[in-house]
Amino acid sequence: MTMSPVERDSEFDRDALSCLPEVARFARSLTRNAVDADDLVQETYLRAYKGYATFQRGASMRRWLFSICHHAWMRHLEVRKRVLLEADTADATAETLSAVMGHAAAQRAGLDRFITDLGLGPAIKSAIEELDPAFRSIVMLVDVEGMAYAEAAAVTGVPVGTVRSRLFRARRLLQERLFAHARDAGIVPADSPTSHSTDR
Amino acid sequence: MNPPISLAGVAPIDCRTAVARLWDFLDEELDAIRLAEVEAHVALCARCAEHYRFARAFLDAVSESWQEIPDTTQLRERVVETLTRQGFRDGR
Ligand SMILES: [Zn+2]
Repeated sequence: MTMSPVERDSEFDRDALSCLPEVARFARSLTRNAVDADDLVQETYLRAYKGYATFQRGASMRRWLFSICHHAWMRHLEVRKRVLLEADTADATAETLSAVMGHAAAQRAGLDRFITDLGLGPAIKSAIEELDPAFRSIVMLVDVEGMAYAEAAAVTGVPVGTVRSRLFRARRLLQERLFAHARDAGIVPADSPTSHSTDR
Repeated sequence: MNPPISLAGVAPIDCRTAVARLWDFLDEELDAIRLAEVEAHVALCARCAEHYRFARAFLDAVSESWQEIPDTTQLRERVVETLTRQGFRDGR
């Protein structure tokens, strides 16, 4: 099936350019700064436009753009090898149990309710930004974009099992950082004994 | 740890198994049988239910922390400019 250039361009406009805000958010999470993110978005769309003929009809445009974006960024970083080595030693079940144990400890310390407090958004956002790139991208794809494991695997080009173990480790790390943040901020729940101690 | 909890038609699972499935359950990645096993356990085990409740709230908070979509009006113009140099014709 051939398509006239005008048809192709208007389809690209409708299907690909409409995803730009989400691609920009993903790029921002990967690069952690606005200038690099804008460059990455430019590069993503340039590659997408040039390679539009390879886009399979009926496939998810968002997923295709995200995978171009991710690929461009990984190539840019050239951290692939390092990341693969350190991330893939994670054991998904061990990470899950470890997150649960962390929660139990936080419950005992009265810190668990802090996580769901309003106004924690910025702390979570920066905790995500501090994650290793390989973990950060998976958290963004699954936890923010709502992708299934298989979809995130297609975007990042790693096996589903790897997505799973990276995701679970990332969540465990995030929880740990947020509990540490709560401890450092001296946050204690309202009904904790320490908050009833005599003020001055 | 509570002993395995049994519910009609569903094999009982213990607490360790129930919490090991935490993320897969919340991400809707479990098959129907494992899902039913977790639901049955969590319905009757307060401790695991609390872990699940917390994990769900945590995931909601993570998701919400990045919900803000950046303003891309100017970026879009730049992208279209770049594409135009490649022969792209903007329909608008
Ligand atoms: Zn239990």
